Amino acid sequence: MNFRAFQAMQRVAVIGARFISYVDQGAGEPLILLHGMPVWGYVWSGLLPRLSGECRVLVPDLPGYGYSDKSDRFDRSLASQAAMIRSWMSQLGIERASFVGHGIGGGVALRLATLSPRFVKRLCLLSPVCYDSWPQETFWELGRGDANKRYSSSDVMVLLKQQLREAFACSPGDEMLENLLAPYGTGVGKLSLIRNISALDTNMTTEITALLPRITAPTLIIWGEDDQRQDVKYGERLAMDIPRARLTRVKNARHYAMLDSGAKVAEHVLEFMKG
Amino acid sequence: MKPKQIPERAAEGELENVYHDIKQTLRVSGINLIFRIWAGQKNFLPELWRSFRPNAETRAFEEMADRLRADSVRAAAAVGRLQAAESAPLGDSQAFQLDAALDLYHYINPKLLLMASAAVMALEGQAIGRGADGAGVERIERGIPARMYPMEMVSEKPDDKALRDLFEDIKQTLSLQSINSDYRTLALWPTYLFVLWSRLAPFVKRPEYERATRVLREASREYVRALPFTFQMQSSRIEESLDNVFETSRNFERLLPALILNISLAQADRHSLERCLASPFPAASRSLEPVEVLV
Repeated sequence: MNFRAFQAMQRVAVIGARFISYVDQGAGEPLILLHGMPVWGYVWSGLLPRLSGECRVLVPDLPGYGYSDKSDRFDRSLASQAAMIRSWMSQLGIERASFVGHGIGGGVALRLATLSPRFVKRLCLLSPVCYDSWPQETFWELGRGDANKRYSSSDVMVLLKQQLREAFACSPGDEMLENLLAPYGTGVGKLSLIRNISALDTNMTTEITALLPRITAPTLIIWGEDDQRQDVKYGERLAMDIPRARLTRVKNARHYAMLDSGAKVAEHVLEFMKG
Repeated sequence: MKPKQIPERAAEGELENVYHDIKQTLRVSGINLIFRIWAGQKNFLPELWRSFRPNAETRAFEEMADRLRADSVRAAAAVGRLQAAESAPLGDSQAFQLDAALDLYHYINPKLLLMASAAVMALEGQAIGRGADGAGVERIERGIPARMYPMEMVSEKPDDKALRDLFEDIKQTLSLQSINSDYRTLALWPTYLFVLWSRLAPFVKRPEYERATRVLREASREYVRALPFTFQMQSSRIEESLDNVFETSRNFERLLPALILNISLAQADRHSLERCLASPFPAASRSLEPVEVLV
């Protein structure tokens, strides 16, 4: 699916002065897919047909990402993202949902599961940021105060494409990379990504480490076996700390396991949803 | 020769602060083409802004822009309906953001025309402003409105050939040397922009369209004469040739009415007359009292 087709599927929820764009497909138990950085909801597009055949799948673009609000005037920390997701769920009348969170989306899901557990029925973590596993050095340059002046939109796109390529086990074509990065090609998109990067804060996951043993939601941890961005050791640690968690590794997959091995990831998620 | 522009990201020193102050005072989320081109003319924009700013922050100026916007909406109603909206279906989120983008330009463009008129008239040596002394002149709040869409634009020379050709067609039809920010923003929804332009282009040559742009230009000059504070620029501070700044300013005064009208036509295509007539971002008065802030 081309990114414009995905964009055309997006609905919108206005939360205070901000807005969230999201896809809502399927029926039944709600399953919320939270993307990571530097992509957007489109990263889940390959899994959507399979998952939405079995449940109601909601794919928000986190504020500051994708085609959600990218104005330069709000907090993009994981704490703020989690708060926005809660407000968004409430506005949609969703009291509780299962979550699949990838990268920083996984960090958001972890904060929800530890600090707002009533919102989380089941927790699936796909190479999430956790403990002090992040932020990657990859992004430090773009988080500098002068990054907007130092780097043009095309500079940033070149950098991001290079970083993304390395995070796949398969060799993504240019079209896939352009689809994944489409929202960030303008000056506003670039600046929004820079602001998101400047909000990356290890404290957002270290402060909840002590709360991990209190997670009551059944938890599935999925990790691309060859993930070089987030080492699988963190998955092993999560499996030790979260009471009802198990870790499953995906062969021939790196950080973007949902793209390297989408069918397998979908199968794991659906099996978990039925369990 | 295509005029030089200084994009927001490239602004340094005094210009960077001028850009910031323009956004805060005019309540706009980006720097429009007119400012980027004025900034390309040696020291002109800082001097223009320094002289115009006292008026720019007044309730009177805000209301003049409101009246000019309403004039444009009524003129658009007389010109005709585009019927572009139904031919360019958009998803919910796309439509929401397109409406937000149209509101941004619907709000700011009248202010740009008023400034262009003021610049031309000042350079012509005309008297502008009522000479108020400051006391009792109401000022509006500063700051970009909380819900205003960011001024997001595609590149002036997009990779997509069809879009590049469309920009060229717009420039040629409207006699533009550079493509306005508005069209570059609407290009975020290219299907919509293609349809919009296909409906708009035939309107542009109609006598009622040309009449409407002339009326807007005349109204702008009339309003500017009644600005609260005297507006004059010190030509000794302007390093650029006065002929160049005059030509640039006059070009904008000539071209902006069409832009205002086009945005009004696009708005009228999507919303009720009442909604189009109202300011998308009504401004509160400036106050030193603490207020609840929507973030």
